[in-house]
Amino acid sequence: MSGHDFHPLVKQLLDGDITLADLPSELRVEGEAALRLLAAVDRTEISMPAVTWRVMATLERRRRRFLPWLLAPALAIAAALVILLRPTAPAPTAALVTVRFVLVAPDAKQVSLAGTFNQWDAHVTPLVRTGATGVWTATLTLPAGQHQYAFVVDGVRWVPDPGAPAVDDGFGRRNSVLTL
Amino acid sequence: MRSGPQAADGEIVRAVLAGDRESYARLVERYRDRYARYAARMLGSADAAEDALQDAFVRAYDQLAQCKDPDNFIGWFFLILRNRCFAERRRNRTSASLEAANDVAADDRTDGGAESAERRRALQVALMELTPDQREVFVLKHVEGLSYTEIAERLSTSVPSLKMRMHRAYDTLRELLRDHT
Repeated sequence: MSGHDFHPLVKQLLDGDITLADLPSELRVEGEAALRLLAAVDRTEISMPAVTWRVMATLERRRRRFLPWLLAPALAIAAALVILLRPTAPAPTAALVTVRFVLVAPDAKQVSLAGTFNQWDAHVTPLVRTGATGVWTATLTLPAGQHQYAFVVDGVRWVPDPGAPAVDDGFGRRNSVLTL
Repeated sequence: MRSGPQAADGEIVRAVLAGDRESYARLVERYRDRYARYAARMLGSADAAEDALQDAFVRAYDQLAQCKDPDNFIGWFFLILRNRCFAERRRNRTSASLEAANDVAADDRTDGGAESAERRRALQVALMELTPDQREVFVLKHVEGLSYTEIAERLSTSVPSLKMRMHRAYDTLRELLRDHT
């Protein structure tokens, strides 16, 4: 035991095995100092509500990324056929189109977009609530072509766009389809 | 197969394993805050704790089939989170003390008593100087309020071994906080 160590009885006090009154009088000052140390422990409760949607968004994003791997062999054959059958011509530059996404969700605390244009990442494309009516919007500039997407409400609920056609994603869910 | 809102942990785990992935959100919701404080005190930062919790829940989902006692999901999950916290501390030993001080300092703005706030901040910084084993037993006993017996059960160790770690922690804290006690 070095000169800076607590007396064994004071350690018992800190452990809650004895009280200050149980200490001999010569250890009272040391005991009081030890209790002041414990009184400084920060026991404030911590809440992390974002963890739920962060976890569920991670799982959902991973599931959707997995789908292209399943389809990869079929897509590779299809792509090869397109290349073989296509007349040779210079590739046109993909045009960009500005699109406004809208979802009415009065009870939502946050809404985002996840789709093929952002690798199904529900964190990167948030919608903004406009006024108090529960209308959420986002304006994106996307390359012409077909895109699949879904709205992510409060990080956990993936909902297709009610105003757009949808296709089955192969796992029993619906993805909205946007053709530009 | 979908579990109800009051379903037991085991029922939810079995539902998730049967393909009801969304029920997992209920387990996350149920337990995310219970160990948020543990992770924050172990890592010295609320941001690092949030990342650790997220990673631990995703890892638990990936390994859910290995949960031998689904009715004790939380005991199993705690060990995953604990491993994650220990690994994180090995990676980021240098920056945590400063973050710990900043995190507590942020609380001070909403809580009166500059002197006690300073003592709290100093203790949190000192906690980061303990070994992870010592810090863990201190956090579980004095922050989470568990008894030595409960901690021993959770960590599969003995009470005397925990007391030895704790008593070393007391001495180190006393040395580090000489000017504050």
